Amino acid sequence: MITIDNVSFDYNREKNTLKNINLHIRSGECVLICGKSGCGKTTMTRLVNGLIPHFTENGRLEGKVVVAGMDVAKTELYKLSEKIGSVFQNPKSQFFNVNSDAELAFGLENIGATPEYMRERLKATVEELQIEQLEHRSIFTMSGGERQMLAFASIYAMNPDIYVLDEPTANLDEHAIEIFRRQLEELKRRGKTILIAEHRLYFLTDFIDRAVYMENGEIISIYTRDRFIALSDEQRIKMGLRTLRANDFQVNDFPMLSSQNVLTVKNLCCEIKGRPVFDQVNFHVSSGEIVGIKGSNGVGKSTLVRCICGLTKEKNGSVSLDGRPLTQKQRNRECYCVMQDVNHQLFGDSTWNECELSAGGCRETEIKAVLRSFDLLEYIDTHPMALSGGQKQRLAIACGVLSGKKILVFDEPTSGLDYDHMLAVAGMIQKLAKRKHIILVVTHDIEFLNCVCDRTIALTFNELQQKDNGGN
Amino acid sequence: MVRKSKYENTVLDPRAALMLLFLVTVVVFAQQSLYLELALVAALISLFLYSGLFKNGLILFLGFGFLLALQYYIFPNAPQVFAHFFAILTTYARKVFPCIMVGMLIVKTIPMRYLILAMRKWRFPQKLIIPLSVTLCYFPVIREEIGHIRDAMKLRKVKGIAKAEAIFVPLIFSAANTAEELGAAAVTRGIENPAPKTSVIELRFRLQDYICLVVSLIFVWAAFWLRRGAV
Amino acid sequence: MSTTEVTSKKLKGKDLITIGIFSAIYFAVNFIFMMAAALHPIMWILMPGFIALFTGVPYMILASKVKKAGAVLIMGLISGLIYYATGMFTVVILITFASACLLAEVIRLATKYKSFTGNSISFAVFSVGMIGSPLPMWLFKDSFFKQISEQTGQGGIVSGNYLSILSNLATDGMLIVLILAPIVLGGIGALIARALFKKHFVKAGIV
Repeated sequence: MITIDNVSFDYNREKNTLKNINLHIRSGECVLICGKSGCGKTTMTRLVNGLIPHFTENGRLEGKVVVAGMDVAKTELYKLSEKIGSVFQNPKSQFFNVNSDAELAFGLENIGATPEYMRERLKATVEELQIEQLEHRSIFTMSGGERQMLAFASIYAMNPDIYVLDEPTANLDEHAIEIFRRQLEELKRRGKTILIAEHRLYFLTDFIDRAVYMENGEIISIYTRDRFIALSDEQRIKMGLRTLRANDFQVNDFPMLSSQNVLTVKNLCCEIKGRPVFDQVNFHVSSGEIVGIKGSNGVGKSTLVRCICGLTKEKNGSVSLDGRPLTQKQRNRECYCVMQDVNHQLFGDSTWNECELSAGGCRETEIKAVLRSFDLLEYIDTHPMALSGGQKQRLAIACGVLSGKKILVFDEPTSGLDYDHMLAVAGMIQKLAKRKHIILVVTHDIEFLNCVCDRTIALTFNELQQKDNGGN
Repeated sequence: MVRKSKYENTVLDPRAALMLLFLVTVVVFAQQSLYLELALVAALISLFLYSGLFKNGLILFLGFGFLLALQYYIFPNAPQVFAHFFAILTTYARKVFPCIMVGMLIVKTIPMRYLILAMRKWRFPQKLIIPLSVTLCYFPVIREEIGHIRDAMKLRKVKGIAKAEAIFVPLIFSAANTAEELGAAAVTRGIENPAPKTSVIELRFRLQDYICLVVSLIFVWAAFWLRRGAV
Repeated sequence: MSTTEVTSKKLKGKDLITIGIFSAIYFAVNFIFMMAAALHPIMWILMPGFIALFTGVPYMILASKVKKAGAVLIMGLISGLIYYATGMFTVVILITFASACLLAEVIRLATKYKSFTGNSISFAVFSVGMIGSPLPMWLFKDSFFKQISEQTGQGGIVSGNYLSILSNLATDGMLIVLILAPIVLGGIGALIARALFKKHFVKAGIV
C-alpha cells in the first residue's frame, strides 16, 4: 500500500532531515513511527500524505514514494487526498467552518460527492464513531479533545484507505485518548492502513503491527508488535521513548514541607457566565513544593489556574499567601504562569530583551546566570519566535524566575514532548522547587505527574478532591 | 444532549436574503419620501416578527423611533452643540437603517455555510469563497488569542506603547503559524480539487422568498415613481 | 533525483488560507475604527486614515507572504462582502474599494511583488478605498441637506448655523483631507510595518 524507496529529504539544503529511508507497508497494516523529537517522524508522515514535496518550498527530495499505486511526487495533492486522510497535532488549526456539521461534510463537498452519498457517509460516520454529541455544534464551544475527535471524524467521513496521523493525541487527556484508541481499532477492523507518528505510546500497543524506531532521520530498527512491547523499561528509556504501558496513577504523597510561605486556596468558587465551574475548592501548597492538578478536559483546571493568578475573579472564597488574602491585582504580581502555548507570552525581540522586559532592573550578571541555567546563553540575540518549542518554553520559565515571582504555575508543560524532554522539564521544575518557589503543575499527562509532583489534586466535576490530607 | 439544528428551517433562502439586501439598498438610496421609508421599516419589522425574532424586532422598532425622535424633536430643541455633534450621524444612520436591518436578519437567521453555498450557486470563484470562509472562522480565534495574550501581559510588566506591540506581534506570529498548519490541513482535504463543489444542503426558493422579493421590487418601483412625481 | 519546484504564479490552497487569515486581522482592525467613526463626524472623515495607520502590518505581511496577483484584491473583496452582508456597506464604498484594490494590484504587479516601497505605495492606494464610507456626504449632498433642513424646518427652528456647520464638514477642503489622510497615514503605517518587520518578523523568519 505504501512503499518508500530509498528516500532522502532535506528542507533547506542544510543537513539531511531523512536519510535512506526504505519502508514497505502492506494494506491493512498499522505502523507506528516513534523516536525522539526531531528524529524525522513528522517528515515521514509528510512523505506519505504528499505534503512533501507539494507543500514544501525549497525542499530537496531523492528517491520515490508510492502510495496506493500513485507516485506521490507526480500526483496532485487533491488526488492523493481522496485515498489518504491526514490528522494533525493541533486541534485548533484544522477547521474551515464554524459549525461541526459543515466541517464533517467539508472534505466530501470538496471532491464533489453527490448529496445522497454525502448524507449516507455522514450518517455512517456519526454512528460508527459514536459522535452524536458533536453534531450541530459550534466548533468554538468545543474542548480541544472534542475538536480533535471532529477532525478525525471529518477525515473518516471521506472514507480514505490510508490514514496518516501526526501526533494526534498531543493535546488530549486520558479520556479522549481512550475514545481515540477505540476509533483506531475500528479502523483496523475495517482493514484500513494506518501510519501514526506518536510520542505517547501506551494506547497503541494493543493493535499496532509494527513499530519503526527512528533516530536523526534514519530508521534504526523496525519491531514487530511482540518485540516492541517486550522492550524493557531500561531499553525504552535509553531510546527516549515514553511508557508503553497505561500508567496507573500512583499517588506520590509526601507530607507538606513547611508551614511557611503557604499558598492557601479556601472555599474557592468560580463562575463563567453565571454557570459555576467549580465550587468549594480547598488546598494548601507550601514553598518548595510541587503540586499537580489533574482532571479531564473541561473540568475547570484552566479556570482554577486563571483564578489563582488573578486573571478571573472568584465568586466566593479566597486565595491567600501566608494567611494574607490577596486581591486579583496582588495575585497578578505574585504569580507567573507558563502557558500551554508559550507563543502568547513572549513579546521581546531577542532572548536578552525578553529577559530584561521581565527582570525590571535585575543586574546583567543575574540574567546571565539564569539564562545559563536554562541553556539559553548562546541564544541571547536570537528572536524568541525563532527558538525551538522547548527553548521557548525554557525562556518563558526563565522570565518567570527573573521577575521574582513566588508562585509559578505550569499549564500542560509536556504536551507533545518526548521522554527526554519530559524529563528535562521535570528536572527544571524540581530545580525551581529547590529555589523555594511555590509550584503548581496542571496536566493530564499522568506519566509526567508521577515523576514530578509531590502531591496531586484531582479536579472532578464541581468539586475538588484532594488525594491527600497533607494540607489540612 | 442531542440538539436539533436550529437552522433546519431557515426563513429565507440565503440567495433571496442577499437579493433582498441589494434591493433594499437601492430603495434606500433612491427614495426621498418619509412615508415610503416608514413603510419599508414597517415591512422589514414584520419580516423580523415572521422570522420569530420578536426581541430584535422590538429593539429595531425602538431604535428607529429613537432616531426619528432625535431628529424631529430633540435636535431642534436641544442646544446647538449637541445637534451639530450628532446630526450627520443620525441622518446617515437613519438612511442606512433598513440595510442594517436586513444585515441583522441575515446574521441572525442564516448560518454561514448557507451564505457560502449561495455564493457557490452564484458561481463565485473558489478563490474568493475559500479565503472568505477562513476569514469568518478566524474571527473567534482572534478573540481567543487576544484573551490569552492579555492574560500573559497582566502577569508581566508590559506598559505604555509596548502594550500595543505586545498584543499585535504575537497575534501576527500565531496567524502565520496557523496559516501554515491550516494550509497543510486544507490541501490534504482536497481543497484544491477542481471538481465542482457539491453540498449536503439543498437550497430551495419557497413562497416567502418570492413574496419578499416581489414586495421589495414594488418598493424599488415606488421609490423611483415617487421621485419622478417630486421633481 | 528530483528537485521540487513549487513556485507557481497561481494562487494555491495555502495562499488562499493565508489570505483568509490576514484578511480577518485586517478586517478586525478596520471594524474597530468603523465603530469609532460613530463617535463624531470628524472621526468618520478621518477613519480611512486611521485604518491605514494600523493595518500596515497585516497588509505588508500578506503582500510579502503571497507574492502573487490577486492576494490584495481578495482581501478587499472579503472585507467588502462582510460589510455588505451585514448591511454596513453601501454601493458607493463597494465601488471605491474595488477600484482601490485593483489599482493596488496593478502597482504590485508593476513592482514585481518584491519591493517594499512598491508594496507600501500599493498599501496607501488600497487604504484610499475606505473613503467610500463617508463619501456619500459629498455625493448625495443635496438629498442629505434636504432631509436635514426638512427636519429642522418641521421642528420650527431653521438654524442657518446648523446647516453651515454641516456644509463646513462636507467641503472641498475636507474632501481633500479625506483622500489625503489614508495616503499619508498609509505611508506611516507602512513605515511602522517596516520597523516591526526588522525588529520581529524577519528576525524570527516568518517572512
